Amino acid sequence: MKYMSSAGDHKVEKPGRLLARAARVSSNLKWPFVGTIALAIVATVIRLIGPLIVRGGIDSGIAEGDKRAILAAAGLYVGTLILQYFATAASQFSVAWVGEQYLLQLRGLVFRRMLALDMGFFGRSKSGVLVSRMTADIESLQEFASDGAVMALSNLLTVIGVSIALVFVDWQMAVAVFAIVSVLLGVTRVFQRQARKAYDMVRERIGRVLATLQEGITGVRVVQAFTEEGNQASNFGRVNEGHFEANMAAARAISWYFPVVAFLRVIAIGSALAIGAMRVIDGTMSIGTLVAFLLYLDWFFQPIINLSNVYNLLQSALAALSKLFTIIDEPAVIKDREGAYDLPEPVRGEIDVDHVRFSYLPDTLVLDDVSLHVDAGERLAVVGETGSGKSTIAKLVMRFYDPQSGSVSIDGKNLSDLTKDSRVGAMALIPQDGFLFSGTLRDNLTYADPDATDDDVWRVLSTMGIDDWIRSLPDGLDTEVRERGSRFSSGEQQLVALARAFLADPAIIVLDEATSNLDPETEVRVEKALSVLLEGRTSVVIAHRLRSAERADRVVMIDAGKVIANGTHDELVATSPNYKELVDVWTIGLA
Amino acid sequence: MDAGGGRLDRVSADRPRLTDLGDGLAFLWRVLRRYRSIAVVSILGALLWMAAVVTIPRIIGAIVDIAVEGGPADDIWPLLLLLAGVGAVQAGGISIRRYFGFKLSYRAEADIRNRIFTHIQRMEFNFHDMTSTGELMARASSDLSQLRLILAMLPITLANLGMFLAVTTVLIIIDPVLGGVAALMIPALLFTSARFASRVVGYSFDLQARLSGLSHVVEESVTGIEVVKSYGQEAQQQKKLERSAVDIYKAAMGMAKERAIHRPLFETIPAFGTVAVLAVGGIRVVDGLISFGDFVSFTQYLAVMVLPLMITGWFFANLPRSAAASARIGALLETAPDIVEPRRPGPLPDGRGEIKFEGVHFSYPDGTEVLRGVDLTIPGGTAVGLVGATGAGKSTIAHLIPRFYDPTDGRITLDGVDIRDLSLDDLRNEVSVVFQETFLFSASIADNIRVGDRLASDSQVRSAARLAKAHEFICDLSDGYDTVVGERGATLSGGQRQRVSLARGVVRDPRVLILDDATSSVDAVVESEIQEALRQVMAGRTTVIIAHRTSTLALVDNVAFIEGGRVIAFGPHLELLERVPRYAEVLAATPNGADA
Repeated sequence: MKYMSSAGDHKVEKPGRLLARAARVSSNLKWPFVGTIALAIVATVIRLIGPLIVRGGIDSGIAEGDKRAILAAAGLYVGTLILQYFATAASQFSVAWVGEQYLLQLRGLVFRRMLALDMGFFGRSKSGVLVSRMTADIESLQEFASDGAVMALSNLLTVIGVSIALVFVDWQMAVAVFAIVSVLLGVTRVFQRQARKAYDMVRERIGRVLATLQEGITGVRVVQAFTEEGNQASNFGRVNEGHFEANMAAARAISWYFPVVAFLRVIAIGSALAIGAMRVIDGTMSIGTLVAFLLYLDWFFQPIINLSNVYNLLQSALAALSKLFTIIDEPAVIKDREGAYDLPEPVRGEIDVDHVRFSYLPDTLVLDDVSLHVDAGERLAVVGETGSGKSTIAKLVMRFYDPQSGSVSIDGKNLSDLTKDSRVGAMALIPQDGFLFSGTLRDNLTYADPDATDDDVWRVLSTMGIDDWIRSLPDGLDTEVRERGSRFSSGEQQLVALARAFLADPAIIVLDEATSNLDPETEVRVEKALSVLLEGRTSVVIAHRLRSAERADRVVMIDAGKVIANGTHDELVATSPNYKELVDVWTIGLA
Repeated sequence: MDAGGGRLDRVSADRPRLTDLGDGLAFLWRVLRRYRSIAVVSILGALLWMAAVVTIPRIIGAIVDIAVEGGPADDIWPLLLLLAGVGAVQAGGISIRRYFGFKLSYRAEADIRNRIFTHIQRMEFNFHDMTSTGELMARASSDLSQLRLILAMLPITLANLGMFLAVTTVLIIIDPVLGGVAALMIPALLFTSARFASRVVGYSFDLQARLSGLSHVVEESVTGIEVVKSYGQEAQQQKKLERSAVDIYKAAMGMAKERAIHRPLFETIPAFGTVAVLAVGGIRVVDGLISFGDFVSFTQYLAVMVLPLMITGWFFANLPRSAAASARIGALLETAPDIVEPRRPGPLPDGRGEIKFEGVHFSYPDGTEVLRGVDLTIPGGTAVGLVGATGAGKSTIAHLIPRFYDPTDGRITLDGVDIRDLSLDDLRNEVSVVFQETFLFSASIADNIRVGDRLASDSQVRSAARLAKAHEFICDLSDGYDTVVGERGATLSGGQRQRVSLARGVVRDPRVLILDDATSSVDAVVESEIQEALRQVMAGRTTVIIAHRTSTLALVDNVAFIEGGRVIAFGPHLELLERVPRYAEVLAATPNGADA
């Protein structure tokens, strides 16, 4: 969701340290950065020459009645303007280039670090928050890079340059102007506090408006079924009115601030004129100087206002940076230890879970001294109630987590001693919903092995008996799966996930069975494809239905983190009352 | 159904078309007329501002003239006071213009958003089947923002245009030659600004699309992290992301290039104006054609016009896009719902909820025929199961009863009265639907149950929950009935959600209960939990239930077996099993049905 709040627990570092760290992210941009600033300074200095040329043109041309001096000044000004244009354009472009290059590297870095983190991290973090690190947070940096940085640099240099120029041209008038600017700064502070509060409120309330709106749309069928249209509309009206009022609070702040700024600008001109005109009359100041001063003054107010806006952008960019560093700083717990070795080929696929204790959170043991042995080529069904810990076993076998004590081994080798690459090649997980990535069917099927040829793919598809289905699609292997496979039914997604696993050709399959009912035709296909896939491989099936338990070589029942029954289906039906009870529930009413 | 074939297609294209432009401007105009008093005040404020803007450089010029002529110094003070006074008037004008401009745009935005919401709520299922959530969200968010921006800018743009005219006139009155030269800045800046804005807008749309592309890669990597890790394909995801990041980089640099080319012009074009004033004006001062004060006021006019010119250029560059957005909003609001109240609704008949389909045909708007003459009588107070292969039309039959759709031919009666003669509220109050996909609102469980009956007392809510076998687990939740659920609330299991929606369905004690495949997405364990709840809520109530599982079919009095868009057999489950071989065949294809 776009409007999702990206707030999370984090402590904001000091801006200085944060910027220093940020600079270290890409050291290769140091010289381009320095060059950019130099270019910007050059552009600003050229710009500041303009009014001085005008002063020269007035004092030695107009005041003296020297037309040639006037034209000479004008010609000189045109020359500097051309220089100014190119210098400014070049500096603005290079600021953006440095910023965008930086973001490009930052995006890659943060994502790489994120992917390297272990499942524990993903389990603890809400997926929306993780996504918003890579999107909302980096986008607020992007906003700063593409707009804020140019504004900050050029306006800051302009304000500094004009201040110096004002003092240089006439310090007395400059003092008067600075006095007024200090009032402006105070007023701006008040405004910013007010505006920020208002805009925070606007942001929060637009989030609610959009959430309510979305709920009204996705739930429209229920709304109509229960004739709730009126209540929904009045509820939405209330939320919507709240947003309107927040907007108007912001509008009120803007409606006093900008008039005050405009007024102060007129007062500043008036003060400069009051002093300047007197001194021109006295003969202590040339009229050219007064005009130049007024020209400089025109460049003074807008940059100050711009800078105060940029300050807000900078603040949110810094906040975003510090959130990004929480991901960069997060240590990856599961990685190849020193001296890790490859799983010896050929992999037989024997699994040993040995006295494993495991908990996601301290003090809540999920698996309590679980031991299991799965023979090579055996099909094991794991059953148990929701929350019994059965899917945790699957996750430990995949080494998404390390057990707190005990060990999980393949072919007698402890998982934590094996290199990730060899371990990953030996196993495949098929999650409940299949999970397809965006891209074509081919991309999804060859996910584990992007080099697989179409011939390989078709061979697998026909072995699994789904080649005719894929052929019947208008685009065949080039069919776009779209986001999360929305075009395919859940059964079809499972079929693709099974074929994907087959192409990876692992010795061990871990399957989290889907709970939902499929339409009969697809169900039959899935069953067939599954038996082809599991043939000759070791498999651990987290089972939700009777059939899968019946078809397994052996069934293990987990309850409250312990193995409470272990044997063939028929044995357990005869010996385990708990298992019998579960089977009864599965079969209820089927007779 | 896919979003692509929506009724709003005509105006959902990204590039504005000419007719849309007209429609959009017409819609904007109608909106503006509705808020004309606010608009007029804002424009009056803008005129005040304009008057001050035109006056200030003249006062400055007058002061400079006094200075150049060497006094008397005392003459300067009244002019300075006047300057401050006009400055105050200018501030007042800006304030009025801004505040009422905002008020106009925010009021219109809020009102239109309300209208969109209310309208969407009234549109029938057909419409929602064909229109994606994202599309409707876009109408009420991004399109509406476009419309608001234009409305907010309208008063100031009108005043700006007036100001340009006034300033040009003043400049030409002071000195036609110099005025003509200085006024050249107006078209130059306007053109630059409009060109810049339209290009940047193009790039920013591009950038937005690419940003969402990247967000997509991140999202799928995070939600599919188990698959990524299980196949060790972190590098592949990384490559996808980096490709996206490079796309973003390119779009951003495209925008940066436009900015670097155009932005410095906003400094150099006015400066060229100053050069022109210096050269032409200086010579004319020397020739005694204008005063030195006139010369200074020219430079001041150039300075005050820069920002308004930029804004005006921006306004016209954005107008086509905003008009297109307005046209899309207008088209949505003008799409009338097909299913409406009868002109003179008849009274609700007494009865136990007998439902009769008489020769009912139904086709989707794209012409697909789903029902081809359904005749079906469901005696009041009995339960009927609808059985048929996927796509046979079971859900359609169920959805016709509360008039989510209307038949293309034939009629349906409730206790002898054509449902199209009943008021929608009456009909839907008597017919409760529990959908296949449970939808809970972001509200407390109690409020979610109360959706079924706003006036239900706490004890009625509880007894409905008891009936639906939901009371126990609700009491186990930390906040009981006050536990907030839905997208932003606590997560309930599929079975729990299903039972809450069952409770919602029965709290009003409807005559007819429709269970639309309500148990298909839960596993056998959960279904067995719900089974008992179903038995309770169905007792003595006309119930239409869509199910594949034999366990559910054991609960109904009769089964209507549907094939080829017709009811081809009707009778008790066991009887049909014996009598209709095809019935047994269809059930057998359903794994959970046939096992036993």
